[in-house]
Amino acid sequence: MVTLTIDDKQVAVEKDTTIYDAAKKAGVVIPILCHDKKLKPFGACRMCLVEVEQMKGRLIPACTTPVTEGMIVRTSTPPVNKARKLVLELLLVHHPLDCPVCDKGGDCELQNLAYDYKINTNRLTDEKFHHEIDYNNPLIERDQNRCILCGKCVRICDEIVSRGALTFINRGIKTKIGTEFDGPLSCEFCGSCVSVCPVGALLPRPFKFKSRIWALTKKTSVCGYCGTGCNVTLGVKDNKVLTTVYDENQGFHNGQLCVRGRFGYQFINSEKRLKTPLIRKNDQLVEATWDEALSLVAQRLKGAGSAAAALATPRMTNEELFLLKQLMTVQVGSQNIDHSAGYGHSAVSEGLAKSLGVAASSATILDIQKSDLILAIKTDVYETHPVVGFEINMAVKNKGVALQIISDKKGKLSRLPGANLLLNKPTTEVVLLNAVAKVMIDENLTITSATPELASALNEFTPEKAALVTGVTADEIKSLARAYAAADKAVILFTAGLSYPGADAQLAHAAANLAILGGKLGKEGSGILALQEKNNSQGAIDVGFVPGQGGLDALRILEGSATGTIKTLLIAGENPVVSYPAKAKIQKALDSVEFLVVADLFLTETAQLADVVLPVCSYAEKVGTFTATDRRVQRINPAIPPVGQSRSEFKVYSELISMLGGQPVATPAEAFAQIPAYSDIKYNELAEGGTFSSITLQPVQIVPKANMVVSDSGNYVLLTGAALYHCGTMSLYGEGTLAVSSEAYVEVSRADAVKLKINDGDQVKLTSTDGVIELKARVSPRMVDGVFFAPYHFADASINTIWSGSTVTSVTVAK
Amino acid sequence: MPNPITPIMQGMKITFGHLFKKPVTLMYPEERPKVSERYRGLHALKVSHDKAKCVACYLCPTVCPAKCITVEAGEDENHNKFAAKYEIDMLRCIFCGYCVEACPVDALKMTGQFELANYRREDFVFSKERLLEKK
Ligand code: SF4
Ligand code: SF4
Ligand code: SF4
Ligand code: SF4
Ligand code: SF4
Ligand code: FES
Repeated sequence: MVTLTIDDKQVAVEKDTTIYDAAKKAGVVIPILCHDKKLKPFGACRMCLVEVEQMKGRLIPACTTPVTEGMIVRTSTPPVNKARKLVLELLLVHHPLDCPVCDKGGDCELQNLAYDYKINTNRLTDEKFHHEIDYNNPLIERDQNRCILCGKCVRICDEIVSRGALTFINRGIKTKIGTEFDGPLSCEFCGSCVSVCPVGALLPRPFKFKSRIWALTKKTSVCGYCGTGCNVTLGVKDNKVLTTVYDENQGFHNGQLCVRGRFGYQFINSEKRLKTPLIRKNDQLVEATWDEALSLVAQRLKGAGSAAAALATPRMTNEELFLLKQLMTVQVGSQNIDHSAGYGHSAVSEGLAKSLGVAASSATILDIQKSDLILAIKTDVYETHPVVGFEINMAVKNKGVALQIISDKKGKLSRLPGANLLLNKPTTEVVLLNAVAKVMIDENLTITSATPELASALNEFTPEKAALVTGVTADEIKSLARAYAAADKAVILFTAGLSYPGADAQLAHAAANLAILGGKLGKEGSGILALQEKNNSQGAIDVGFVPGQGGLDALRILEGSATGTIKTLLIAGENPVVSYPAKAKIQKALDSVEFLVVADLFLTETAQLADVVLPVCSYAEKVGTFTATDRRVQRINPAIPPVGQSRSEFKVYSELISMLGGQPVATPAEAFAQIPAYSDIKYNELAEGGTFSSITLQPVQIVPKANMVVSDSGNYVLLTGAALYHCGTMSLYGEGTLAVSSEAYVEVSRADAVKLKINDGDQVKLTSTDGVIELKARVSPRMVDGVFFAPYHFADASINTIWSGSTVTSVTVAK
Repeated sequence: MPNPITPIMQGMKITFGHLFKKPVTLMYPEERPKVSERYRGLHALKVSHDKAKCVACYLCPTVCPAKCITVEAGEDENHNKFAAKYEIDMLRCIFCGYCVEACPVDALKMTGQFELANYRREDFVFSKERLLEKK
């Protein structure tokens, strides 16, 4: 500890603390422009100058100077104030001073400081800048005339986002922040740069001129897209969510969001939201009252027993899923309930459940930066969970955590410094992991020794044989095994969800085996983290929204609907027509089922086939809890009242339970109290940031099944997955996310593009045994020859036309 | 004790004095008052280069104590900010003039127009068109 005096206040701080942080601790505010608590000290603006007794004769920047014992610091003496005034005057010489039309007004650090230091006139004059303003980008408006060259955008894009899309270009007075070759900004659109810009040089275009920041009511919530569970602040005016507001102190992620969370909020107040219930009459969906719609549904469900089934989206709250489960299992008497097409949650609900003795990940997102080694299975981890990706970036770049990747394609993660990528043939991940386990056993690198069953089952997975199957050399496999075993703490990450059928129970077993053998369970910075797709995927598993005893899983429910054993099907928020595999089958099933009820925000492709459509609320309109993929249980509160006549699903299913003679719980808090997985969490005590549900690990070594066959059909294979800009099919209703990624595409390697004479942007025709689809080609350096990749979100050319749920689909390609 | 008549006489003197002064009352509406320069009547949005000067900065709705100004900004073809909607609810306005004072671009003034009576509530809500300064 170092003791020093700041403005006559004594403080004791850690060694290596800067004067700025020490002052903050002492409750003394030093003005800053270029400093940010998330970024490395930079010292560009000189706003934070202070006087230090021991360094008389010059002024010292507080944000970059470490404290020393006995330092005497004065933060607002006349010379300091005079210097700061000059700094501001110099900045304002070129600043356009267009506060009345600048959206940053009221939230602008330059404006605030000019006010605080009473800069009413300027002793200096010069011509203003005439930089061209980028009005064309759909998400980020860049006006370099307002820029004060603090470099925060450049640094956050590099240090946290690791994209490097912005940089200083030119020199001296001509310096500005530019993009690659000064062209249009093309990046991840995470908006991190916008959020830290102290002035109005970078602004969110979708919010342009919509409101003043001070007129917004700020409501905190939890992002309704992926399983990361980021906390967001919604800016609300006149009952409309107009923007997301940055708060550097929010959540474990310090306000960092991805493009979906930051710019994809428009679905909440979309014009396309369903406003009233709809009932099919004469083959037309016509508007109806809630009473009509609900009594029709209740009538159909009454006594339906196992002829009824429900599919729910893990975007619903825990309490809603709890009620829907109660409705189906108790009142209706059917065990046919499921979510995420059944296989989408199997890695956790079946794989980890057996391997770890608990249907949940053992590690949390917080473990990533505390680890020594990260083993990521598929580079897609970044695209599906970008804010987890930021954690990986920071771990690798700032904390020196080693990054090992097993993937069937390259990606953003594999470009991180020091990342070691093992490029495997598609579908061979389990073989590869088994071979790694085998090496660990053979070389005596295990901490927990392998059971005889596992050891003998792994016998065939020698690195040499596995090399033939996976395309990764035996040496690479061995060195991965050694690195993993040698790391004191290691986390294994993989993405699970609808478009990743390969992330199944076997993969989870194989990953868990590594952790068990390597002794990487149950300690900080170690474990397994399955990154599940939706905001409440883990909650759906915790609530037990899976087939009960003798019940059908999602795909069987749809089969049953086609054959007539399921007569009434309730689909809550899922959009199987687009997101489940085998479109033709799904459509047939939904066409033939006698009675289809869909509860959704929009008239989705699935809702269009329904007999009754119930308009329900988005996450911004309801109360309840979401459980993030790392078991973090967080509460949401309404930011706006329900849109139109929409109702929260809690209300809808409560009412249906009553109509069927049951006694629903009165409040979400009561429902929460009845969920066994959360028995040790008190609903009312859940603060912002939530609480992790506790788990007890009972690791078991399970033999993962994997085929040791060398597959080389010579055909092209298609992989499905998720794109960075989207999450499920809901982000298609967010104008922001849609603006940067609006149409379906297929990624093709450069060599394949040459071979097939495909140019970037060409329409290509992919044919599988299931059907034909035309997609726009994207020639991408990250793809491996012979492998195509297509994201699954887009309804217009939905990939399930040719994809029937297998991990890879063999396709032929024509232009 | 002073003479009780004296105060009465003094009062009468003032009263009679006024009989011979110019009357302050007007034969309204035939006769019109001349309002002072700084009178705070109905607002007007100033016009320059055939456009309202207002840049929709939202300062007047922010400062207005009666919360009776509604501004909605729009983006014109040159990406400039303008008031797509500008409304003042004169039923709620307390004629304090803060809005005029707050305006950073001198786009707003208060006129001598004081005849604001109307038959319907809606007519008290002055739209941008009605508020634009008449030349
Ligand atoms: S939006 Fe994100 S990726 Fe794009 S420049 Fe800004 S920080 Fe970088
Ligand atoms: S654009 Fe903003 S964040 Fe970037 S250097 Fe300029 S003022 Fe700083
Ligand atoms: S989509 Fe996921 S990563 Fe992005 S902001 Fe939302 S929760 Fe965070
Ligand atoms: S005069 Fe006062 S009350 Fe009336 S609109 Fe202006 S600020 Fe509001
Ligand atoms: S303060 Fe002036 S420029 Fe701003 S909105 Fe009001 S009238 Fe328009
Ligand atoms: S804040 Fe210290 S130099 Fe900018």
